[in-house]
Amino acid sequence: MFRKILIANRGEIALRILRACRVLGVESVVTYSEADRESLPVQLADEAICIGPADAKRSYLSASAVISAALVTGCDAIHPGYGFLSEDEGFADVVAAHGLTFIGPSAAVLERFGSKAGTRELFSAHGLPTIPGSQGMLRDELHALGEAERIGYPVLIKPSAGGGGKGMRMVRTARELESALRVCRSEAKAAFGDDSLYLEKWLDENRHVEIQVAVDRYGHGVHLGERDCSVQRRHQKIIEEAPTPALSDAARLELAELAARASVAAGYENVGTLEFLVDSAGAFYFIEINCRIQVEHPVTEMLTGIDIVALQIRIAAGEPLGFSQPDVVMRGHAIEFRINAEDPAHDFRPGAGLVERYHAPGGPGVRMDSHLFNGYDVPPFYDSLLGKLIVWGPDRATAIARSRVALDELVVDGVATNVAIHQAMLLNETFLEGRMTTNLLDRVGSAAFLAAAARG
Amino acid sequence: MPDRIHTETKEAAGPDRSTTDRRADRAAIAGSIDELLPALIAKLGATGLAELEVRQDGLRVRLRRPAEGTVSRDRRSSDRPDRTDRGERAARGIAGSASPAYAVGLSPVGPGRDGHEVRDGRESRETGARDDNRAVATSPAVGIFQPRSSARAGTRVRAGDRIGTVDMLGVPQDVVAPNDGVVGASLVEPGDAVEYGQGLVVIEFASAVTAATPASGSPAPATPSSTAADR
Repeated sequence: MFRKILIANRGEIALRILRACRVLGVESVVTYSEADRESLPVQLADEAICIGPADAKRSYLSASAVISAALVTGCDAIHPGYGFLSEDEGFADVVAAHGLTFIGPSAAVLERFGSKAGTRELFSAHGLPTIPGSQGMLRDELHALGEAERIGYPVLIKPSAGGGGKGMRMVRTARELESALRVCRSEAKAAFGDDSLYLEKWLDENRHVEIQVAVDRYGHGVHLGERDCSVQRRHQKIIEEAPTPALSDAARLELAELAARASVAAGYENVGTLEFLVDSAGAFYFIEINCRIQVEHPVTEMLTGIDIVALQIRIAAGEPLGFSQPDVVMRGHAIEFRINAEDPAHDFRPGAGLVERYHAPGGPGVRMDSHLFNGYDVPPFYDSLLGKLIVWGPDRATAIARSRVALDELVVDGVATNVAIHQAMLLNETFLEGRMTTNLLDRVGSAAFLAAAARG
Repeated sequence: MPDRIHTETKEAAGPDRSTTDRRADRAAIAGSIDELLPALIAKLGATGLAELEVRQDGLRVRLRRPAEGTVSRDRRSSDRPDRTDRGERAARGIAGSASPAYAVGLSPVGPGRDGHEVRDGRESRETGARDDNRAVATSPAVGIFQPRSSARAGTRVRAGDRIGTVDMLGVPQDVVAPNDGVVGASLVEPGDAVEYGQGLVVIEFASAVTAATPASGSPAPATPSSTAADR
């Protein structure tokens, strides 16, 4: 096990990692930017070190500042959390070059899973269905039309480089494809300096289901079940739950076992998440793998009782899993609500400022992972996640009932939050029946969605 | 609380004035303070007044007793920059709107002005480091500190002078003097691990030390500030 771990993140996940370190009996050092000097992880830390100014590029995103902090504080491992440097294989490389351990997959493993297209091919070769798409990049219009015909409309035009919706268009006909190709090429060229495009089958009513896997250095792998992350706002997950209401128990198990087998076979290491799209017929397609701890990991912790952050640290330290698939028992139903500093009254504008009063809800099955406290000043420099409310119940109906009570009890005064959208969701028939798709909120618009809920 | 004089001048005419003008201002301010301050402090102490203001030769000098607890850490305050010692001091520079705060007789310390703030291209960090008659050079990075051999205690330095380095993964980052003055005590040892923004070396303000002398033994801490009047 490690002697001392540098926590290279902030907010609720820094706190989460700090807690895992303490449970494992490992010392830790919390890094912080000047804007986070008074944050809760810093206050609770055994040791904390300022690594730079508020600007994340010069603090949390600065590989040299983070590694230097690890070296001067005598750490032998770095936990990157999520976001920031967590998916930067170059960072993992430099960490290793300084004789430190990156808590996550090794640089070699990260490199193997670095390219989205390459990862899909790899997993496809190991038995995972991937979303139908064009063979390679689109050469010209004729090639594109032929490939689209073969895949079947609607199709999504996607740029090979980068993401964020640039150079991306969904088209339903050959005519639309012809005109959109030019636009996408120029957008992709402008945004990424690379105008290569490919096609992917577009699923109108899709659900986002992901499988949590854990693989140790010795090739022993398990899955910890799935999470349904279909409730999204503009491609950002806001509610996650498990088990998914989209699939039968048999189908869930089949998908999870397939994902675990493929992860081991493809040489993955440490905890990871395989993301799938599930269509209305229940067919699933592999999209990508996340090689880090995910925001929504507590949903799985509630069902399995497994501390996934501690597991991640143990695997990185070279320990064997210590359990096998039959030991993983999933009980009940859990839902996570991301509490964001976003104002639903102003198009979910991100907010900041002083939290005048904070009260975390309690009761059976209720867990709040948050770095808020009375008098905390939310800095405007980072993402808007204030915390996560995770609610467990023996079944979905109980989890929903407890969630309503917990959301009503939660107090965050002084900063606008998105709690209203969660409360509205718990009144929405589509959600209550478990039929939500990734376009549920955006199809009607969040404002209309809130208004509809208010009318009852 | 020890007897303190917080000396601060504000340049009324804004940032466009020439260096020569500023030097003249500073000379005038420093001279006036040497003459005026001891008398004013004695007066303020004797009367029990909260504030005194004197105008003379185009200069205005105001002495104010600090309110109780002005530098306490108040989390509930809604004014973000005032909520910590560091923030409070930074706010003084920023809150002066068009008028950057000046230390008496010395170069400007306002963020985004000249001095190290611009030369090393960083935002205000002299904050926390500023005292009545001294400033502290802070660390530009997390790493290992090495003082510059030519910047021993007692050496005169100008704002922006390199007085040491902080080694971050083999890349030395300059530690610069925040103000003109004299190198004073070192707050860390050569080879020590330091964090970003940490105070490393004290820079004494020669003229502020002179101005502060009469204050010793004065009955109450006072906060004089002198302001260059409109020209």
